[in-house]
Amino acid sequence: MIHDLVLQQLAAVTVWATSGDETPLWLLAAGPAGAVATYWSLYRYYRNTDKSHAYERDTLIAAQPVQGHREKVGHISRTRDSDIDGDNSSNHRVRVQRLE
Amino acid sequence: MAQRPQGDQQPPHDPKDPVFDGPPLSLEQELAAARAEPEAGADIETVNESLADGLNRCPKCGSTDVRLRGSTEMLVCLFCRHQWQEARVEEAFGLGVGIDDLQGTVVAGGAGEITGDDDVLTMTCGGCGADVVVDTAHAMNARCHWCRHTLNVNQRTPNGAVPDAVLPFRLTRDEAVAKIRAFASKRRLFAHPRFTREFVPENVLGVYLPYLVIDARAEAAYVGQGEVQTRRWTEKQGDNSVTYYAADVYRVDRSVAFTVDDLTIEGAADRADLGSGTTNNIVNTILPFDTKNAVKWNSSYLVGFTSEKRDLDVTDLQPVLEDQPLSIGRAQVHDTLGEFDRGVRWEAEKVDVGGSRWVSMYLPVWLYSYYQENTRMLHYIAVNARTGETMGSVPVSQPRLIAAALTVGTVLEGIAAAILVATA
Repeated sequence: MIHDLVLQQLAAVTVWATSGDETPLWLLAAGPAGAVATYWSLYRYYRNTDKSHAYERDTLIAAQPVQGHREKVGHISRTRDSDIDGDNSSNHRVRVQRLE
Repeated sequence: MAQRPQGDQQPPHDPKDPVFDGPPLSLEQELAAARAEPEAGADIETVNESLADGLNRCPKCGSTDVRLRGSTEMLVCLFCRHQWQEARVEEAFGLGVGIDDLQGTVVAGGAGEITGDDDVLTMTCGGCGADVVVDTAHAMNARCHWCRHTLNVNQRTPNGAVPDAVLPFRLTRDEAVAKIRAFASKRRLFAHPRFTREFVPENVLGVYLPYLVIDARAEAAYVGQGEVQTRRWTEKQGDNSVTYYAADVYRVDRSVAFTVDDLTIEGAADRADLGSGTTNNIVNTILPFDTKNAVKWNSSYLVGFTSEKRDLDVTDLQPVLEDQPLSIGRAQVHDTLGEFDRGVRWEAEKVDVGGSRWVSMYLPVWLYSYYQENTRMLHYIAVNARTGETMGSVPVSQPRLIAAALTVGTVLEGIAAAILVATA
């Protein structure tokens, strides 16, 4: 388990070091980040606080075809963000405003 | 049937002291009350009529020494070894069909409203006439202390302790012990030393936990924004290069109609709280069960096991029946969002549960529990006694965990420093 973690962190450091377009001084964050990641990985492996029944997948569901539309409402001409703000399309259990 | 709640004796009423029962009704109200239809019974009646309450006798020899034989999932008479089983509720009560046509809330008899909180029943032994007390909060059987007959609670009780169906244990105790031991042995290095020292998986307990199993028909709709990347380029800024993006923004809506079959949710308030201060998520994780194989209620299936009574009503769980279909709908529409390569942000949603059918069940769990005194946390290792799925919470040794984290952090920092020195 520990060996796997160290190898993962080493791989991450190597990627950072070879990515090129960021200041290499960021590498100094590797130690603290690796320590925190190790702590939480081990903690979750023992305590399993993040686990729950995946009822979205493990229940017998018969769905009709999905209906939907899209309508262009704007254009972003220049941004440094590689993805949309607040992407929650994969967080099925995070509730948003309820329509009546 | 010979059972009565304890402490139900009313003091004699004094005729000189009339009881105030509210202001008199108007003539219209009294007429309406007189014309009213009798109160409706359960939508699905699931009482096992073949059982007389009190004594569950072997159909072959009449002995009451009956219990579950886990390896065959059948009831076995310990006197003559005859084996038999109750009918599956799926066919007996038509629970597997008609989900598309469900209208409103249909509630089986055992999932009905809890109207009393008196857990203690006094039963009269059918063998010798002695009064025997059963605490239905934890057990549905008791031995008559005089004639050794096993007494069983089969009829509906107002405290929610008797469900519509029971799913018998399949995994034996030895199999559960092996699974718990394997789970804990993988997590020994950073476990709390006291947990490791006191770990005795043979102390595992077989428990029937209360669940509500729901069939539902729902339609969910979602509205949000999605983005599609149209361009990606890199600009030089000093020594660095920065990546920029351009994107089209779309308003996205999706809707899906679906049915869910045997959605299973906790029927006890203590288990339903999945907050971070508890380990209830552990027992939740070992779902699902093969609830299609649940059989008609017969408390002989519970002999030798403990049970926890249901204390949540259908009305208490209506919010869950909206929350979970909303999540299921989101999962269903997820595959249609591939064109939005920069992602989708859902901003509003709604669900319309057109019909639902609720059945209460006891589902079997092997449970090893450990109370960590310093954190006052109750940890479990739970085994699904049908599928064998195992999940647990093992208390950790914080000093060992921190030492491991610091070691990894130090190694990484050393490597990072070496890379910086080499590239300087």
